[in-house]
Amino acid sequence: MRQINSKISLRLILFFMLIVWCFGFSFESLFPNSSLAAISYPLLKHAYGEVCHQIPSKTFVIENHRLLVCARCTGIYLGALVFSFLSLFFFRKLNLGIKLLYISLVPILIDVIFSSLDIYKYSKLIAFGTGIFFGSIVFVYILTTLENNFIDKKPMKNG
Amino acid sequence: MDRKNYLPPLVCGFGAAVLTTVPGVKSFGCCLIIPFAAILSLFLDHKINKSELPFNFKHAMLLGLLTGIFATLFATFFDVLMTYILHTNEFVQTLPQTEELVRQYKLGVLLNQTMGMLKQMSKDIQQNGFSLFYIVGIFFSNFFINSIFGMLGGLLGLSFINKKAQK
Repeated sequence: MRQINSKISLRLILFFMLIVWCFGFSFESLFPNSSLAAISYPLLKHAYGEVCHQIPSKTFVIENHRLLVCARCTGIYLGALVFSFLSLFFFRKLNLGIKLLYISLVPILIDVIFSSLDIYKYSKLIAFGTGIFFGSIVFVYILTTLENNFIDKKPMKNG
Repeated sequence: MDRKNYLPPLVCGFGAAVLTTVPGVKSFGCCLIIPFAAILSLFLDHKINKSELPFNFKHAMLLGLLTGIFATLFATFFDVLMTYILHTNEFVQTLPQTEELVRQYKLGVLLNQTMGMLKQMSKDIQQNGFSLFYIVGIFFSNFFINSIFGMLGGLLGLSFINKKAQK
């Protein structure tokens, strides 16, 4: 029972951290008339610019306001957020193999290479989709690692 | 921690800072540069220092954090250097668009104060190639973001290396 409570706490913390992170890059789009959004815009733009190229043609526009990260990054973070939400209801231990991490990277690599070589035109939706897939897998890995080390205390057995 | 242990995060942090500074390269790596640098740092640590497997959680997190911190130091240094040489940077170039966007909100005094501060930073950069507020701002923003992403990379690397060791 105590272990379940610890798991819930950890998952809730991760979920709220991801909510804050996703809220940050979509703040201006979600609250277009908020003065706080306007004031924090330059700071947030620079902060998210550290981890994303923010190319305007590659970012989603909501309510005439661009998100502060590109379509792929949006997918990665939302994929992680959706899985962090789902993880609050499912406690079955997922023991993903390392191959799945490689596999989740393949669509991103293919999309980056193909769109860079103009084999097909860059599509925000494809980038978003590849991001969601990768983000969700990465979240499961991170959650498993944290639970193995903080709750189960078996750093090796279940990877 | 032995001095030799700082080498992998130093090298990987430097590499990540270069990649995040070079225009164009960032569009490929995006948010994955720092986490991958942290993962690489774990691999290098294992190779160079013959770290025992399975990797310790604290050690992996520390390596990830150090990679993020070194990336912050180098990225801030490169940014400051480029700004000093060119007397302009992305912040100065995008300030008019930022102002245009923020002015839509009609915030009165609050807006004038915010824009006044940002414009002063831009003016300092254009005149002297240096703005203390700007440097402090980018340092803390880089530090916060890179440390988090570095530790995430450390976590992923831990899972990755330990699973490989199991095989």
